[in-house]
Amino acid sequence: MPDNDLAADLGLDEYKYDFVTEDKPVFKARKGLSEDIVRQISAHKEEPEWMLDFRLKALEIYYSKPMPEWGGDLSKLNLDEIYFYLRPQDQMERSWDDVPDSIKETFERLGIPEAERQVLAGVGAQYESEMVYHSLKEEWEEQGIIFESIEDGLKLYPELFREHFATVVPPRDNKFAALNSAVWSGGSFVYIPKGVDVDIPLQAYFRVNAEQMGQFERTLIICEEDSQAHYIEGCTAPVYTTESFHSGVIEIIVKQGARFRYTTIQNWSNNMYNLVTQRAIVNEDATMEWLDGNLGSKLTMKYPSCYLVGERAHGAILSIAYANSGQHQDTGGKVVHAAPHTTSQITSKSISRGHGRATYRGQCKVYEGAVGSKSNVECDALLLDETSRTDTYPYIEIDENQSSIGHEARVSKVGEEQLFYLMSRGLSEEEAMTMVVRGFIEPIAKELPLEYAIELNRLIELEMEGSVG
Amino acid sequence: MLTAHLTGHEPGSLQRRRAAAWEEFGRHPMPTRKMEEWRYTDISGLDVEAYHPLLGGPAAENGGAPKKRAIPAAVQTVLDNGQARSAVMVQDGGQVIHTELDPQLKDMGVLFAPLLEVLETHPELIERYLFASSVAPAEAKLWALHSATVSDGYVLHVPAGVAIPDPVHVLRHLGTPEALVSTHSLIITESGASVTCVDEYVSPDLEPGSLSLNGTEIFGAENASVNFISLQRYGSGVKHFSMQHANTRRDARLSGFNVTLGGDLARADVTSHLQGEAGSSEMLALWFGDGSQHFDHHTLQHHEAAHAHSDLLYKGALTGGARSVFRGLIRVDPQAQLTDAYQTNRNLLLSDDAAATALPNLEIEANDVRCSHGATVGQVDDMQMFYLMSRGLSRKQAERLLVFGFFEEVLGRVPVEGVRERVRQVIEEKIGL
Repeated sequence: MPDNDLAADLGLDEYKYDFVTEDKPVFKARKGLSEDIVRQISAHKEEPEWMLDFRLKALEIYYSKPMPEWGGDLSKLNLDEIYFYLRPQDQMERSWDDVPDSIKETFERLGIPEAERQVLAGVGAQYESEMVYHSLKEEWEEQGIIFESIEDGLKLYPELFREHFATVVPPRDNKFAALNSAVWSGGSFVYIPKGVDVDIPLQAYFRVNAEQMGQFERTLIICEEDSQAHYIEGCTAPVYTTESFHSGVIEIIVKQGARFRYTTIQNWSNNMYNLVTQRAIVNEDATMEWLDGNLGSKLTMKYPSCYLVGERAHGAILSIAYANSGQHQDTGGKVVHAAPHTTSQITSKSISRGHGRATYRGQCKVYEGAVGSKSNVECDALLLDETSRTDTYPYIEIDENQSSIGHEARVSKVGEEQLFYLMSRGLSEEEAMTMVVRGFIEPIAKELPLEYAIELNRLIELEMEGSVG
Repeated sequence: MLTAHLTGHEPGSLQRRRAAAWEEFGRHPMPTRKMEEWRYTDISGLDVEAYHPLLGGPAAENGGAPKKRAIPAAVQTVLDNGQARSAVMVQDGGQVIHTELDPQLKDMGVLFAPLLEVLETHPELIERYLFASSVAPAEAKLWALHSATVSDGYVLHVPAGVAIPDPVHVLRHLGTPEALVSTHSLIITESGASVTCVDEYVSPDLEPGSLSLNGTEIFGAENASVNFISLQRYGSGVKHFSMQHANTRRDARLSGFNVTLGGDLARADVTSHLQGEAGSSEMLALWFGDGSQHFDHHTLQHHEAAHAHSDLLYKGALTGGARSVFRGLIRVDPQAQLTDAYQTNRNLLLSDDAAATALPNLEIEANDVRCSHGATVGQVDDMQMFYLMSRGLSRKQAERLLVFGFFEEVLGRVPVEGVRERVRQVIEEKIGL
């Protein structure tokens, strides 16, 4: 069994990215939330009147909704201690050379994938609450692809923006979606024109840096008919002692015949409350894939969802969660079958270690009339020691008899025989354990672009340090 | 007022329990769909005051000698089916009207008697076991109502080492419309004892409908073995709430089988408290809903001790506009290492308007365990239908055969032939030909 005290003494359990670069915000709102703050944000962003109205209405909805009583423990979350808006720079950077050295240094120390630093293909690196770096390859511009910060999306494409904004996740959806709608800041606006196939993934890196700063990123992605794209978002944040809070909303519209994949690897520091609403509307013959990795944060509540509204639409959710001591990963997925012959697959893998708790919470809903729908859910949970915990809470609601729905879950520990075999081949117990865990997540890791798979493996390795006493 | 009925010519200890339970009932709000455990079954409109409680025990009628009541015909036909029985009890409208126990077993110290009688003859058993199970908050309101209104029931106490050879059969008849009937079953098996109990519920179609509550508590001491079967085949109009708690000690074996076929609304809360090392619990259920029937099964496999084993298999088929809910939870406490726990729920939808909801849950706090669960919702397999129809069967016949095949996996594990037969018979009537 792990000797946690020893591990702590040796600094093995220390968060790897425990460093802070000095932040110099240009504008910093007051702590806490009020109508005044919302007006300030909107004014600061020079938004049209309708957006201010939208924000204010969302604020009212936020106030009227109770805190959720299910899921993780939110009792220690003090929203009055959070900054709802921060902005580090006034100007968007157009080239890498213009990015401040302090930010470059942060990226360097985080080991941001080479792909991102070198190719800079559509990179939107978000530092604090705003996009600070944004660049598009020329050929993409020629193809008509839009990849902007959400603020610029609103400024430059007001009609396209307004037509789709908040249609997938309305403010009324849940308390935190309402909060995000009121104070959103930062995020991406992506538009893939009809028939366009984007072969290099669109990547956005963002990070939270100022203490007690709220991060309310909002992303809107529109995939026109028969288009194809992959969007990658990853985040990591340094450790602070007071709680931090992140509440994003991701809206995706996948039109007829289009194919879209959204990948997130979340590695927030262990004081972060991460409450995200991610949803996609999937039309006829379209495919939506969520690849969701949750490694960090104190509490994550995130259930990427696919609303399959067109015939033969397909939704896939691949979810991986790693819960170490002090962490609760309450994650999963949601699929709604609202059209005939729609199919979906949810694969969830979780690892709990120390006092960590991994929860799978999922929903599969089949409406009457969605004939021939098929859904399959598989959950695997791995428990590494005596104190770790795992839960599985699937909701299966079926109103259509001509459908086929299955759910399966398994809970196990690392097999003695597997360890014995590997150790008899000369590996130490820790190496063997790490190898078994890597094998366990392999089905998901192999879906990632190479540099991310490497990073994921590195993170797992790091997290597994000191796992054997 | 319901409270006005809660006194009678019954032992003071029961009256005190009633008063306490009634107070408890008042303290809890009526479950609404906002409560997670009641999300899919709406009983917020259930007005318990609208039903007349059937209470009082044998002495209640004018305080005189108990009136001899005839055994209802629907019960008599079951009794006449030639099945071997070690003991029989008939209850009508919550009153015990007939009790019979093999004299040999009586000599061996087996106690099988109406609850009201045991209250006076064996207060020590009552003190120790009646309402002694730990009840979940979501169940508390109805458990309190049941405790406050319990009219009678039975106590079965099997001494150490005694094996009851044939089933103990309890038949409950309900013939009164607009009635509230609440009965309790208390099964206590000492170490090494074994028994099979069949609790059967029958009624004609009732209009206006009645409300039926049952609480069952099973206590299995070290190495005891209990087979418990609940067969509910009420007529239409009845709302039935069944709350079952099985408590097993070291090496005890429990097998529970719930059959839900009748009533308009049936809710069963079935809990296995695995309190002793190496205990085992088999949990089986089968339901067939048609018309606008609504069936809701809630289960808990609570592993409180190490090395225990539990295996749940709940299967239901629905036709017409019937709806079903299954919510099952495996909870493994931190100390319950080397737990083996399984949970499977399968649903078969036979019509366009039928709907099923499945919520198989796991909460695991020990790491050296083997736990899995699975749930499926689907229709009869096209290939199997095609095969049978290519052999000359009509669509209806083929479907019927496949439904029976679906249930056989559960039914085959039930040790009482008479029960298997009656279940098949009711399903056959429901499917029609």
